[in-house]
Amino acid sequence: MNKMKLIAGTILFGSLWGFSECIIGSYLHNSFLPAGAIMTGVFAVGLMATSRILYKQRGMQLGMGLIAGTLRLFNPCETCFICSAIAIMAEGAIFELIWYKMSLDLKELKKTTMSVSMGIVSSYVCFVGGYVVTQIMTPLFSSAGFYLENLLVFIPQILARGLIAALIGGAIIPATLLLKKVDIASVKDKVYYPVTATVSIACWVIVILNAIFILKVL
Amino acid sequence: MGKEKFIPIFAMVVLIIGIFSSVYVYATQVNTDTIKITNETYTIEQIFSITKSRTVSTPDKVNFSGVALDDLIIKTGIDCLSCHKYKIIGPDNYEKTVTWENMQHGLLTKDGTVAFSDLAKAFRVKNVIRIEVVE
Repeated sequence: MNKMKLIAGTILFGSLWGFSECIIGSYLHNSFLPAGAIMTGVFAVGLMATSRILYKQRGMQLGMGLIAGTLRLFNPCETCFICSAIAIMAEGAIFELIWYKMSLDLKELKKTTMSVSMGIVSSYVCFVGGYVVTQIMTPLFSSAGFYLENLLVFIPQILARGLIAALIGGAIIPATLLLKKVDIASVKDKVYYPVTATVSIACWVIVILNAIFILKVL
Repeated sequence: MGKEKFIPIFAMVVLIIGIFSSVYVYATQVNTDTIKITNETYTIEQIFSITKSRTVSTPDKVNFSGVALDDLIIKTGIDCLSCHKYKIIGPDNYEKTVTWENMQHGLLTKDGTVAFSDLAKAFRVKNVIRIEVVE
């Protein structure tokens, strides 16, 4: 596939992921729902799997994580935005590692057992990995410092919280595989680029305006 | 072992880990109305009656009101305050170790939450059950 199309797709899906983390994630968090697990299972794994299915390219999800994490930094309100940004970037890298050995046409996921299992594994490992990385990195960036014992005693909680993400992921991957027949390469350039650019810009503008609005209210 | 076998087995293992961890967390959860500081146990009311109040704004722009953590530690009679680190522990074993400098920017709210104006939300511990002096 054309490199420019791939870059535009990475920016589009990364922006959509970052947008959902900033806007929907904040809403879920305020609703006392398990926001982290829902965000990982539905949006992180859902969007990364969708991009993998549509573009059939490795490395794209790592780029998506970097873009989504950067966008999360532009919304310094509500939850711990540094922790969230680090977790998002880690999830992109972890997803890339898990899916690295999969074939580009994803023929291994034809059987429902395989697609459900892949969803469970991807969501759980992304959630737990992202959580652990952020628990290590956030204290390193603060004046308090990182203490391994603080992390070790909390590991059972992290493993338990990942269960919801795993169950969501088990449903999300088979659902995203319905997009397998969509041929993104056949979309004409004069439609593809304006649409990806408009949606990406809209995501960034809405997140930044939302952050400015909240900061003014506070 | 091929991918077709490995991935479903790994998924099963992941689910079993998640279920057993959930049972473990539920079984070991501690619910108490008191807070243990070093070796003494206090109620929230006792703490609020002896400690100076403080209001802080956290880095994520949330305002908290409660009692000053540094004053609370001073009132418990600990020597050489800056020589130690302080471990804040929640009922779900969530714990964070902070410095004396951080304690000077921290507070304990009426509902048992510890928050710091100089530390990220990851350092916010809800329903604190214990504050330990370490090192």
